[in-house]
Amino acid sequence: MQWSHNMRFFQSYAMKKQLWIIVVIIIAAILPTIIGAFWINVAVEILIMGLFAVSFNMIFGYMGQLSFGHAAFYGVGAYTVGLLMAKLSIPFSLSLIAAMLSAGAFALIIGYFCIRLTGIYFAILTLSFGQLIYYIVFEWYSFTGGDNGLQGIAAPHLLSSVTAYYYFTLVIVIAALIVMWYISRSPFGYTMRAIRDNANRTRFLGINVKRYMLINFVIAGAFAGLAGGLWGPFNQSISPDLLNWTESGIPVFMTVIGGSASFLGPMVGSIIYTFLNAFVTGFTQYWPLIIGIVIMLIILFSPGGIQGLIDKWYKHSDSSDENIEL
Amino acid sequence: MNMTDILKVEHLCKSFGGIMATQDVSYSMKSGEFSAIVGPNGAGKTTFFHLISGYHRADSGSVWYKEKNITKWPPHKIARLGVTRCFQVSNNYPMLTTYENVRQAVLTQKKRTLNLFTPAKNLAVEETLNILDMVGISDNANTMAGNLSQGDKKILEIAMALGSKPELLYLDEPTAGMSSDETYKTMELIKRLNEQMGVTILFTEHDMPVVFGYAHRLTVLHQGAIIADGIPEEVRSDKMVQKVYLGEEE
Repeated sequence: MQWSHNMRFFQSYAMKKQLWIIVVIIIAAILPTIIGAFWINVAVEILIMGLFAVSFNMIFGYMGQLSFGHAAFYGVGAYTVGLLMAKLSIPFSLSLIAAMLSAGAFALIIGYFCIRLTGIYFAILTLSFGQLIYYIVFEWYSFTGGDNGLQGIAAPHLLSSVTAYYYFTLVIVIAALIVMWYISRSPFGYTMRAIRDNANRTRFLGINVKRYMLINFVIAGAFAGLAGGLWGPFNQSISPDLLNWTESGIPVFMTVIGGSASFLGPMVGSIIYTFLNAFVTGFTQYWPLIIGIVIMLIILFSPGGIQGLIDKWYKHSDSSDENIEL
Repeated sequence: MNMTDILKVEHLCKSFGGIMATQDVSYSMKSGEFSAIVGPNGAGKTTFFHLISGYHRADSGSVWYKEKNITKWPPHKIARLGVTRCFQVSNNYPMLTTYENVRQAVLTQKKRTLNLFTPAKNLAVEETLNILDMVGISDNANTMAGNLSQGDKKILEIAMALGSKPELLYLDEPTAGMSSDETYKTMELIKRLNEQMGVTILFTEHDMPVVFGYAHRLTVLHQGAIIADGIPEEVRSDKMVQKVYLGEEE
């Protein structure tokens, strides 16, 4: 009785959320006709950083480990696209696929070591590897351009207007989110939640915990690489800062703001963070002060982030992860 | 019933910082047995479970499961053979529902956990609901496991073990902290697993009436070593056992 009653209740709740998502997609589709070029640029940034943050949350929210070196994969993706397009004139679409593959390969190597640790040790080791790659990119002038970065990464002619690039990014990001959404609801996704909640128990059920963590780390790295790959032609240049630890902090902030317990939480966080950034830096240089206050307020008054607040409005009893995640 | 040894342990030793937690333990079980290991606190029961389930690695000696030497195997490989373990302190996924907890065990047993694209909610529905029904926690299917009562958490332990379709099941104090009514129900359930599904069961227990009421065979551990092993009546009358253990209680 209880069971079927609860199921009906959750279905209607999930449907309401699906309705909201459709509304948001429609708004996203007509957005460039409403807003000016500056804000279209901001919207592209929201999408790219949101994808980066959602990929980060595959490790943070679903696997329960804080990666503080996720920008390494974002940066590797950006440099893969930058180098292939600027030096070898490889088409953008192929370069994007290569960005995912190379970021995934780096994640495989770095992850092999990091998944042996958990908690603060995992965070520190991911940070160390991230900085290691940052310094290699920073110093290797002949290959990466060193601290000068790479310039002249032009999007293909078809995507040269900011509106066209916005729609292209929108399609890629939505496709990537759908893939990650499916993964999060799959048995693999639930195995990650199981590892997050109780790795030892999962081991005794018959799961090779380290192997699963590594696979998840590689998937998350590959999607961060895709986000990085979208950044280069958008910004038309890339610099080693894309791999620095400060860049790794951004998806952490976005996830804290939006909420790690829901799939789209980090994307919500990206909307708030990136929009605020563009808005606030228009009239003051004290951006870190503003974002610091925002994060403090969220941690104090809504530890589940904005998405957690919305979920609280919708329902009052406890429920499953599955239903709060859209 | 096939009466070959399902589990065989030979001269197992393990020490922690100079304290011998397991001393030269040799033990074997036939398929279909329903046996108990008892002993005072600190006798080494849990360490013994840790050693035969792969959580700890033995200093010396060997562990065999159906003629496979599993002494140095990690827990997940041993689990895949059909050896399942229930924990003394309930050990579940607090942020997943009761239903999702059991489904995780079922999906792992069916080797579906590397599936990346089928929604988990469409898989193993019937098996999971059957198990919840069988152990009697269907009403709590949508409750977060972290919010269950202590008794229900212990029942969830057994439900998760069932999801793994074990051939050999280790239960570490399955009724600890339960009311006498819950204890009775739980032990009857375990008995059904043994008699109707042929699961070989090895459990530890502090509650002596439970041990004598259910176990077909009793092994007494004291300071990491076996001091008695046999049918419960025999062990009950053993002078050494009365001195170190049962004497304290009666």
